[in-house]
Amino acid sequence: MDTVSQKTAVMPRIQVSEERMPFVLQVWSLMWRTLVTNFRVPAAVLPPIIISAFFLVIYQSSLGGAAGFIPGLRGQSYLGFILPLSVVSAALSGAGVAGQSIVRDIDNGYFDKLSLTPVSRSALLLGPMLAGAVILLLQTGVVIAMALLLGLAPETGLPGILAVLGFALLLGVGFSGFTVGIALFTGNAAATQGASFIFFPLSFLAPTFVPLALISGWLRTAAELTPITYILGAMRTILNEGWVAEPIVQGLIATSVLGLFLFAFAAAGLRARARRK
Amino acid sequence: MNREIKAEQLVKRYGDDVAAVDNVSFKVDSGEIFGFLGPNGAGKSTTVAMLTTLGLPTSGRATVGGYDVVDQAAQVRRIAGVALQEIGLDPIMTSLELLTLQGRLFGMSRRDALKRANELLEIVKLADVTKRRVGKYSGGMRRRLDLAMALMHRPEILFLDEPTTGLDPASRRDIWAEVRRLNREFDMTIFLTTQYLEEADELADRIAIINRGQIQVEGQPQALKAALGSESINVTFRDSDHVRRASDEVTDMFDRLQIDRKTLRMYRNNAAEIIPAVVNRLNTAGLEPVSLTLTTPTLDDVFLQVTGQRFDTDTDGESTPAASIAEPA
Repeated sequence: MDTVSQKTAVMPRIQVSEERMPFVLQVWSLMWRTLVTNFRVPAAVLPPIIISAFFLVIYQSSLGGAAGFIPGLRGQSYLGFILPLSVVSAALSGAGVAGQSIVRDIDNGYFDKLSLTPVSRSALLLGPMLAGAVILLLQTGVVIAMALLLGLAPETGLPGILAVLGFALLLGVGFSGFTVGIALFTGNAAATQGASFIFFPLSFLAPTFVPLALISGWLRTAAELTPITYILGAMRTILNEGWVAEPIVQGLIATSVLGLFLFAFAAAGLRARARRK
Repeated sequence: MNREIKAEQLVKRYGDDVAAVDNVSFKVDSGEIFGFLGPNGAGKSTTVAMLTTLGLPTSGRATVGGYDVVDQAAQVRRIAGVALQEIGLDPIMTSLELLTLQGRLFGMSRRDALKRANELLEIVKLADVTKRRVGKYSGGMRRRLDLAMALMHRPEILFLDEPTTGLDPASRRDIWAEVRRLNREFDMTIFLTTQYLEEADELADRIAIINRGQIQVEGQPQALKAALGSESINVTFRDSDHVRRASDEVTDMFDRLQIDRKTLRMYRNNAAEIIPAVVNRLNTAGLEPVSLTLTTPTLDDVFLQVTGQRFDTDTDGESTPAASIAEPA
């Protein structure tokens, strides 16, 4: 045995190739590939846009007239108040794209093939997550365009709209960490799809239709703990009131913490998958 | 250069279940074709998953080209080419897209990746369908493309997990020819799992037989067969009671007897010579065989010997009876 191990020790190892793809390019390549394949099957991309736009019209038509009676909203646009909800819901369903893409890759075996390449493990996750982000930008873009057509006139103008899009992007990327994590933990399409629905209870534990001040009891407590509350708050402030620092910073912190936490969840999913294999 | 694969007491356990891979150790030399042979569910793919960094061992360690599969996974991925049992291709991409992306992810420039992709598509005979989505390919075409994916970055060590399962005989022979070529021309170390005895016999310099997570025997196919040393006479009876009685009758004539359902296998050197004597002895005892065959040792017999069960796959093994006497008078 000794001679064998000595021989191995002396034998030079293979020089590992110095060719490396820079991290940013890895993420870019994987993102691009996810986008291209998603747009080849547009059935996955279109419904969320339609649903978000539909709800926006419904909310505005049914509740818009009541805005004048809701204390704290007097004089403000209900459209500006309710649009962030549609943006958030578009962002979250857009985020589902990342999880769905990974489940699809797991199903057809391509995810293993990618895992066997020397790309960074983070790039493996970020590629589809950012692809999801691009798709949700398109989706929220459509929703915002609809709101503008319905008469939305944001306090902060175009920069405000861009800021809302930015929030949607951050939230979407963060939430895609969740769907990607579920995809990796379960490897199951139905579970991943189901997990995307977790947003619905979350969004109703927030000041969905009326300002936080009008909610009381346990729902108030729940709403204060839900990060969505602060994200909605930040967007509403931008659209209806202007650049008010506190709610915007709170919104930023909420999205970032949620995003980092969920990315860690996705990374844990990747490790769990290797342990299972 | 070290292009070895080494496994030391590898264990993979899922939850509290029986270990899927149970204390497996082996060494594959540089430039060798190593056949990892076993029935479905024996632990072949689980072993490949660990060696290729896809799965984490529960315990034990393994190196590929001298790099640890857990601590130096990135290096292992760079030098190893892997074609898994489950073909890993995105059906809505084209073969050219898949190959160039693969090359790019291994650090090739776009130009090199494209050149290499076209070169490989030529080799695996897919050059005329490079723009067709992979979902429209036949099973054989997908298998060949998957092999091309594994070769894209010019690996030094190649893992092929059941590369011919489900292929028609012609495609199977194509893959065999390619495996031999890669080994000959590039001196590639090839770790090949298979559930076909014939394949291991044809291709491998050395084989290990794995069953229920454990390596049962390891060596050169020729040596393993020679070690059995003996031919066997296989006599089938109408019922198992006759089999037991027959085995009592002939026990002094053979080195070893084995009962496999209604068949009695009798092992010794130059067994052919004593067929008349055996038939005689059985007739005298009033035992009438349904059929009698003579088998020279095959890997199937090696397997049977080390595990006490037949190699359990959907293929016919490769035992070709050398002589057959039906319904002796």
